[in-house]
Amino acid sequence: MKNLTNDVLIEVNNLCKSFGKQQVLKGITTTIRQGEVIAIIGPSGCGKSTFLRSLNLLEVPTAGHVIFEGTDITDKSVNINKVREKIGMVFQQFHLFPNMTVKENIMLAPVQLKKLTKTEAEEKALTLLERIGLSDKADAYPSWLSGGQKQRIAIARSLAMNPDIMLFDEPTSALDPEMVGEVLSLMKDLAKDGMTMVIVTHEMSFAREVANRVMFFHEGIICEENSPEELFTNPKNQRLQDFLGRVL
Amino acid sequence: MYKRKKSWQQLLFPLFLCIGILCFVTGCHRDTSVATDKLPLKVSSVDDLKGKKIGVQLGTTGDLYASDYENDDYGTKVERYNKGNDAIQALKNDKIDAVIIDEEPAKAFVNANSNLLILTEDFANEEYAICIGKENTQLLDNINQALEQLKENGTLDKIKKNYTGSDSEKGCFPYIPMNIDRPNGTLTVATNATFPPYEYHQNGKITGFDIDMMQAICDILGMELQIVDMEFDSIINAVQSGKADVGASGFTITEERKQNINFSIPYTNAKQVIIVKNPNATEDSLSFSEKFKQNFLEDERWKYLTEGLKSTLIITFFSLIIGIILGFLVAIIRTWHEKNGGLSILNLLCKLYLTVVRGTPVVIQLLIIYYVIFSSVNIDKVLVAVIAFGLNSAAYVAEIVRSGIMSIEQGQFEAGRSLGLTFSQTMRHIILPQAVKNILPALGNEFIVLLKETSISGYIGLADLTKGGDIIRSVTYEPFLPLVAVALIYLVLVTILTSGVHALERRLASNEKSHQ
Repeated sequence: MKNLTNDVLIEVNNLCKSFGKQQVLKGITTTIRQGEVIAIIGPSGCGKSTFLRSLNLLEVPTAGHVIFEGTDITDKSVNINKVREKIGMVFQQFHLFPNMTVKENIMLAPVQLKKLTKTEAEEKALTLLERIGLSDKADAYPSWLSGGQKQRIAIARSLAMNPDIMLFDEPTSALDPEMVGEVLSLMKDLAKDGMTMVIVTHEMSFAREVANRVMFFHEGIICEENSPEELFTNPKNQRLQDFLGRVL
Repeated sequence: MYKRKKSWQQLLFPLFLCIGILCFVTGCHRDTSVATDKLPLKVSSVDDLKGKKIGVQLGTTGDLYASDYENDDYGTKVERYNKGNDAIQALKNDKIDAVIIDEEPAKAFVNANSNLLILTEDFANEEYAICIGKENTQLLDNINQALEQLKENGTLDKIKKNYTGSDSEKGCFPYIPMNIDRPNGTLTVATNATFPPYEYHQNGKITGFDIDMMQAICDILGMELQIVDMEFDSIINAVQSGKADVGASGFTITEERKQNINFSIPYTNAKQVIIVKNPNATEDSLSFSEKFKQNFLEDERWKYLTEGLKSTLIITFFSLIIGIILGFLVAIIRTWHEKNGGLSILNLLCKLYLTVVRGTPVVIQLLIIYYVIFSSVNIDKVLVAVIAFGLNSAAYVAEIVRSGIMSIEQGQFEAGRSLGLTFSQTMRHIILPQAVKNILPALGNEFIVLLKETSISGYIGLADLTKGGDIIRSVTYEPFLPLVAVALIYLVLVTILTSGVHALERRLASNEKSHQ
């Protein structure tokens, strides 16, 4: 299996989030350790995406704390941009920048944030593209590409910042079925290389194969949390049993 | 190849349109009146004015007198024009029945238009004087003393003869400014140079009775003369607000005016007369080329258009720059507030600015900026226009840009911010390039509107392209060619601007064209 260390990367403490009167997260507490691959499953509207987006403060929590590498990032005095440089994020709808070529998409953040010079960033972009098998698309615009290609490039764009953790928000949900495989296999490679990952997903077999911990969200709380073998073969919570009954 | 052809076609269309309009209007503009047996005059005496349409120049004493007839039982109507010449044009085109105007300009108009005549019965007698701000009593005294001196030494008489004397006297006594030291500053004189022979444009300069007289006064007072041309009804405002020291534009002394300004001692007697159309005279009909020569070539009158065009382009260009910079700034502040919260006070200020600017006509804004905000500051009019049009355009640009920003999906923001980019980096590199592409047609439209809106610059007496055409019109009494020429120049400018925006659109769109 993977080489887990005991270093805590993110500590989530009683995280709550409300949209108006509707409480979406009702006090989440958990710990994410370096090298872990966590899959989050649950019915739609259970708060799993909101939880993920709270980890890099795309959603500002109503209450509670997110402590990333020892810093409480919910503290207003923290420069959230610096924190986000270390937290990669991949979206369901890819969100590549349509006004830039593939290469420019990957180079933008490292160059603008002065992580790399232009030449270094270009080198890095080409290396990443080679790794994901899209070297020939370096100068293409996103609108020329298939969904699977776009998502792989979105992953490469995040990787260009050398993040300590990657968040995936339903990365394969917007893809045609025949393109899901290429994205999942790239994510598997990442996991194998020891990247810490939190993945909101509907791909149960993928969660089972790649994750070393699975969280089942229901109505804003973590209902059940376990190793994939245990959670999928021996679900204890009635709601989890119902959910798995519907999706498997 | 295909693209080139297309842009050619785009240019050809307006060109044909221009030629078409020109052919149409020159063809139509023939004098169609036919000489018949002696026809009676529509108005032959003062009494006949009842129930007729009377044309006057706004704010003149003719306007005051005519107003007495308005709302009478006969249904008399008064049409007020910004220039005497516009009233004359309306009379020639049978839009009105008579024009009440000062005698000397009336003579000039009738001389230039053979089918008009002045009724022998005078309408009213009056006196002209120089108007001066209420609080400026020292200047009033100085000018009165200077006028007395000019009356005593005969200078004023000579000037009068030079412009309003008999044919043998006219032009024989030109006043030549003295070559003296002028230690006492500048005397800014507001006038309306469409009022021959008191003040009018000739050879690209403003000249006339009042102008020579003011020069003579300045020579006595040891002051530098500065003439400011503006609409007649703006002159008293300008004197009150300090934009001008005095007004000299054939001002008749009236009680109403005395309440707002002081008058010098009178410098000449004048009459109000009635001009009517003579139905028995045909208009001298000039050929097209003669008219062209008269309107553009004589006295190098085309220079009014080229000089005006220069002002129009300068004003448009700099307003555009201000509009873009300020517009983007306001849009970004508003977006920041919407996306991140904060900047509440700035956002409120922006909203207030947008409400005021978009809620009031640009001409009012221009007048307020010139006469109220910069009232006592000696500021270049082009600068005033640039500020006014820049501020106005920015409000529209701001809302266009904001709509462009809102058209970009939230995910683009989030993708940028999740990489660690700041709000402004995300804006600059990701959102704005996409937004600008989407709003380019709307922005292009706003620039076209801006270019054409500058045509109201004449309201503060700025000689822009439209005003250039107006000046030619006021000298040649020919509305048609100057107006069409001005229209054509605007059309060409807009066409160039449009094709520029189109070219930009094509360039930006090429990014996302499907690959080949």
